[in-house]
Amino acid sequence: MSTREANQNADGQIELLQGTLDLLILQTLAFGRAHGHAIARSIERRSDEVLQVGHGSLYPALQRLLKSGLILAEDGISENNRKARFYRLTAKGRRKLSAEASRWERFSNAIARILVPVAEENS
Amino acid sequence: MFGWTSRREKLLEEFENHLEIETQENIDAGMPPEEARHAAMRKFGNMLVAAETSRRVWGGVWLERLQQDLRYALRSLIRYPAYSVTLIVTLVLGLGCVIAMLAIVESVLMRPVALPHSSRLVQIYEGEPQGTYASSRAISYRELEDMRRGTQSFTGLSGFNTMVIPVGAADGARVTELVEATPDLFATLGIQPGHGRLFGPGDEKKSLIVINDEFWRERLHADPRAIGSTVKVSGKARTVIGILPAGLHFPQGTGGPAAYLPISLSPAGEDEFTYESASIIARLKPGISMHQALADAQTVFAHAGPTDAISGARPKTALVMVSYRDSITGDMRRPLLAILGGVIVLLLIACANAANLQIGRAAGRVSEMRVRSALGAGFSRLLQQLAVESLLVSLFCAALGGALAFAAVAVVRHAYGSFPRFDEIAVRPAVLAAAALLAILVGVASSLAPALSIRRQATGAFNTRSVTCSSPLPGILVALQVALTCVLLVAAGLFIRTLRSLENVRLGFDPHNVTTLVLMAENQRQDTELSRQIETRLLHRLEALPGVQSVAMQTEVPFSSYNMSLNGTTEVVGRAYHDGDSAFYSLVSTGFVRASGIHLLKGRGFLPGDEDSANVVVLVNQAFVEKYLHGRDPVEANLRFHRDRGETDADIPFAHPMTVIGVVENEMQGRDLAAAHEPMVYLNYLQLPKESMLSLVFNMTAQYAVRSTLAPAALAAEMRAAVRQEAPGMVEMSLGSMENGISESLGQRRLALRLVAGFGMVALILSAVGIYGVLAWSVALRRREIGVRMALGSSRAGVARLILRRAGTMVFFGLIPGIAGAWAAGHAIRSYLYGVRTLDPITLLAVGLLLLLVSVAAAALPALRAAHVDPVETLRAE
Repeated sequence: MSTREANQNADGQIELLQGTLDLLILQTLAFGRAHGHAIARSIERRSDEVLQVGHGSLYPALQRLLKSGLILAEDGISENNRKARFYRLTAKGRRKLSAEASRWERFSNAIARILVPVAEENS
Repeated sequence: MFGWTSRREKLLEEFENHLEIETQENIDAGMPPEEARHAAMRKFGNMLVAAETSRRVWGGVWLERLQQDLRYALRSLIRYPAYSVTLIVTLVLGLGCVIAMLAIVESVLMRPVALPHSSRLVQIYEGEPQGTYASSRAISYRELEDMRRGTQSFTGLSGFNTMVIPVGAADGARVTELVEATPDLFATLGIQPGHGRLFGPGDEKKSLIVINDEFWRERLHADPRAIGSTVKVSGKARTVIGILPAGLHFPQGTGGPAAYLPISLSPAGEDEFTYESASIIARLKPGISMHQALADAQTVFAHAGPTDAISGARPKTALVMVSYRDSITGDMRRPLLAILGGVIVLLLIACANAANLQIGRAAGRVSEMRVRSALGAGFSRLLQQLAVESLLVSLFCAALGGALAFAAVAVVRHAYGSFPRFDEIAVRPAVLAAAALLAILVGVASSLAPALSIRRQATGAFNTRSVTCSSPLPGILVALQVALTCVLLVAAGLFIRTLRSLENVRLGFDPHNVTTLVLMAENQRQDTELSRQIETRLLHRLEALPGVQSVAMQTEVPFSSYNMSLNGTTEVVGRAYHDGDSAFYSLVSTGFVRASGIHLLKGRGFLPGDEDSANVVVLVNQAFVEKYLHGRDPVEANLRFHRDRGETDADIPFAHPMTVIGVVENEMQGRDLAAAHEPMVYLNYLQLPKESMLSLVFNMTAQYAVRSTLAPAALAAEMRAAVRQEAPGMVEMSLGSMENGISESLGQRRLALRLVAGFGMVALILSAVGIYGVLAWSVALRRREIGVRMALGSSRAGVARLILRRAGTMVFFGLIPGIAGAWAAGHAIRSYLYGVRTLDPITLLAVGLLLLLVSVAAAALPALRAAHVDPVETLRAE
């Protein structure tokens, strides 16, 4: 309940909007199956640590995606030889990802075109 | 349930895993293990929130919470058994009574009669709209025929008469319910035969009869060859052509054997029992309202019947139409609804009690609620938990109450099966559904007050734990209970006083050691003179029995169900006749005054010499003297039947003048002790002129009141032997002691008393529990205050007085509205009262004292507990 108050914290790390997090998870899983920690790490790394996922908030999102059938969960053994839960995309999830990704691209391009001058002035 | 727990565990395991990987990575990056773990946890965020948010994604949160609440409620109920048992007993009593009464009302008043499309069946009378079945007038066969032809609103319109007369079968003649009906009756009712066929149009002149299932089983011993066998009615053999299906009764209300025969009319418009009129039952066409049908019937009725010049059209009043169901149980409606009202009052008391108990309990739970509130439970969450607990209790109580109702209903059905439709009483699903709804309502209502009190206290400052919080609400609820209890007890008191007054009513007839015997001629068409001779012979025979002191023959015997009297227009010579002057005429035997023990106030009684005298002599009662002979010497006054214009001597009982020879005290008439006394004229039955139409009475019932000190069984055997010898053609209708008749006549009032007094006692117990509960909790909460008071010098008696005063205040503030309510209730039941005013000071005083006594008893224990508080101990506890 208390995790929603700010979208940007002092370090310039952007906390994620809900729908965006879903998309990022799907995108991550597009490269193959992964467990929760790996997903979190991957999102951080691929966004150059700008997009900060509160690791805890990853799990409700995973439950949501599981429930809507976009991903599947299976038990497996992690790299450090432990039991872990792995997630992977379903066919439905893959379709959803490509649709959402192209939509997001159009949207972010549009935003970018509008915001570029302002952003330059600020930086 | 639903694997939520294991799913949650798995999720937490996954979290743990995540943390370990992160920690390992941190260690690998060179952090000390302790710090590595902390950093991982910081990065993860609030684990419980993550788990809770994930949990919400799965859905069904409310269900899981409900499950938690139920488990919690159960645990807390078991932990306080005294509280739980009191609460449960209170609600079971309240709900059980209401469910039982709802079941009775549903079965008797609301449930459609078991006939096809019975909601379209109506009965039609001429007369007062408020009148009951008995007070309304039947409609003549000719008018009925005209209405059948002239109206368009009915698919069927049939007439019927019900009588109780001897019907002969293989087992001899026995008194049986006989229904004569127009041939289309079964078509109108929509009844199909169980066996054989039913009569229909064209069967009027045939000697046939239809019987019901009970007749077939009880009288014909379920003989498979019953159809085609012979049954004797009024000396005429009739062939059984059909049997009604089992469980079907018409007219509704009697569950015993009955036989049905088609009405065949003489050219004069009379049936074979010399009736000219019948009750009407009709079936409305679909889509026609009762209102439309009544208008239709009224138009035809206004011009129906004989219109010839000689008799002239008799004045007609408006028709009344009642649904068939209401015509059966209409008389029961008000008493039953009144009882239902009483029971609902009882439930309200139980509700107030439950609320009080829960408020008391809530007071003890405030700290628990505060902790839960501090841990993040919102008020609505707290409320939900309380409501669940309350609902759990009330539904459980409804289930127990339902069981109680099942038992109560079985008892009522067994004990009062003779009331119309009481044999059909059962607890049906609709009532159970209503009960469940009621339980939910009760649960919510009784948890509301405690929830509010918790809200006020739990959201207040945290450290007020030791301060006494007192709320006026419990006191108000107890006062309300006292008020309602007062109403019920006063009503019970009024019934007790009514019964007392009724038992002291002067009967006129001394019922001590009197056995009443009622006979009926099996053949109702035999010569009336012969009947009179047989009955006289039997009278003399009974008088001659050893051990018999006296025998009276009367057409009206107190408490007999077979009374007959003529309401005759009466003219007193020397007094101007006013329209409507009439008196009741009863035929009695010569020894009437001596045998009945009635007081002779003036003149003389009948003498054997009067029997053959041509001069008709009569006795009159006090009421007659007051009305018609006021201020005159009644003895030697002359009366005669009044002849209306256009009437001939054949239309009045007889034309002879009658001479008053004596005045007797007012005698009980009929079966109702509370009924007013009507003017009566006693006529010696031997003096009744032969040609008088009144002599038909001799073919109906003969009633003997035998005074004897013999043991009842021996006397009955002797009397039966005498009947067999002297009057073999007469069938016994009833034989029993008159005193039994008196107590039976009080049965309905006794039942009402028993019910109201029972409810009053339950209410009293509940009120006592309520008073005790409130005071006990208040003492528990005020221990510290009481300790301080005592330390400051208050005596133990002073402390006890403090508690008792609180009880006194609650009772006092309950009694004021209670007495007002009792006055209103007395007004509502005034038609059931006799010899007592609606606001009876003695009853009020008694009830007030009783309530005070009970409340002192209920307050005694808490007061004692308060007096034994040890000031040192309480102060040390600080």
